[in-house]
Amino acid sequence: MRCERCGVELTNKIIKINDVPYCENCARIMGYGKFLRNPEEMLGSAFSPFDEIASSIMQMNELDFGNSALSCPKCGMTLREFERKGRLGCIECYNTFNDYIVKEMFKQQGESTYGGRMPAQFAELSGEENEQPAPAKKEAPAEKAPVKEEAKESGNEAEPASEESADLKALALEKLAKLEKADLGMLSDEDLQTAIKLAADNEDYILASKLRDELKGRKEGK
Amino acid sequence: MKMWYEREGTDEDVVLSTKACLVRNVKGYNFPSKMDERDAKSLLAKVDSVIDKSVFSGGLATDIVNRGEAETLMKAQISGRDGSLLYGPDKKAIYYNEDYGLSVAVGNSEHLTIKAQAAGHDVGVYRLAEKIAVDLEKKLDIAYSEKYGFLTSSVKLTGTGLKFLYTVAIPAIAKTEGGIATLRQRVGQYEWMIYPFADQGELNESGVYIIASVSTLGVSESETIERGEMLIKDVIKAERACREQFATKKKTQMKDLYGRAYGLLRFAALMSRREALDAVCWLRLYRDYDDSSEFECKWKMLNTITQEVCWEQQRRGEINTQTSQKKRAERIRKILKGVD
Repeated sequence: MRCERCGVELTNKIIKINDVPYCENCARIMGYGKFLRNPEEMLGSAFSPFDEIASSIMQMNELDFGNSALSCPKCGMTLREFERKGRLGCIECYNTFNDYIVKEMFKQQGESTYGGRMPAQFAELSGEENEQPAPAKKEAPAEKAPVKEEAKESGNEAEPASEESADLKALALEKLAKLEKADLGMLSDEDLQTAIKLAADNEDYILASKLRDELKGRKEGK
Repeated sequence: MKMWYEREGTDEDVVLSTKACLVRNVKGYNFPSKMDERDAKSLLAKVDSVIDKSVFSGGLATDIVNRGEAETLMKAQISGRDGSLLYGPDKKAIYYNEDYGLSVAVGNSEHLTIKAQAAGHDVGVYRLAEKIAVDLEKKLDIAYSEKYGFLTSSVKLTGTGLKFLYTVAIPAIAKTEGGIATLRQRVGQYEWMIYPFADQGELNESGVYIIASVSTLGVSESETIERGEMLIKDVIKAERACREQFATKKKTQMKDLYGRAYGLLRFAALMSRREALDAVCWLRLYRDYDDSSEFECKWKMLNTITQEVCWEQQRRGEINTQTSQKKRAERIRKILKGVD
């Protein structure tokens, strides 16, 4: 996002006046400086007019938080409360604030998919004789194997092709795994577009949306 | 009965302790920050009815506070360095085993915080914590989704709900120029984090750091532990190499500082926390290179002193008063004498 007046790229502080973004410098030149003082600074003065404080707080509200009115129907937790405390109020909050939670997960961990064990089952640790009940596997490769067996039995001549497509699939998955860990800032716009297609073709919609957000952010000059 | 940290451990010259924390929540209740008193009491009763009493003692936090056990829980590193686990005790419960190495806290920031801790480098703590967790998962209806895993109040823990931590004493890396910066970079490569035991105050130069896992999503429990294992081996290797550098390149100074530090700890009548930890740092640096055999200075002793001083309860108005300094010095003398 850029300042509408001087065109400078807006990074830390974005001032919106009548919904138009400006940089702090331009906002001051345009005579809005009195609203940009720190609330602490104003509160420290015994003579600060109350409406100045109120205007400043209103300006601050415009800067952050998306749909701050959103609240959880079960525990009453608001989105703003979640953003401030970083904690949820109940399980239902996961449904209410799903988009924001996924964003937060990406921000903090770069991931939003679960890779751990299921309840009441022991994790399988490498280099340890597994005396515990076997953990549940999330993937279901067993369903694919009989298909290959059937193809072999029926003498399907297309088998080399299916092997080739399996190789391509493996290659695509490898690329996706690399993309998931890559610094997206290092990829060109073309690379991002190719990566979005690759992710979407492989049904990795979370990665695709992450890449799309990066590309969109660039286009918007964020 | 000895506390868990008074036992001997593997790689104890560098690793003070290994901890595994698992958090879980029970379906049907709001998370603790939004839980009313009636629900809190119901949750406490529900957990109390399923907790394995043959392993755990303890109970309602109010009773623990009334029995004057708060200091012990802090020393055992169960109640947090600031004793936060015992704030608002009427909505909380704490269960612990004989040597305080295993604990279950109820109603803290998550419904259940299961913790296993052991002296030195001991990856086995994960299994101990997991065993308790699995037992509770079988008996309680745990909040879990296939998409996000174990649901927690803090999004930072959603997923496996596992935090794996090593507390390390790395004075040689800390005293080497750029040592901590390089280590921080290395730790980041494993997607873990390192932070000093204390950023400021008396303990900020203790040479004690915490290395902790970060990710709870996109990784399995096994991957988290494997990464931690690879990382801690690197840290141990690097710290030992740095100690060797100090001991060989500055032998005379190191020997001098070692003797002075021992004398201070062994005979001083008053001791501040900073003084104690600073002296322990010098003992750590040269302990394995001292060929005089004049002092009895076991790793277990140094680690006990470090952990007791780091996790000491600070009573209001008692910070560095003569009474607290005297008490501390007496305790350290006892440990070094091998009386305790």
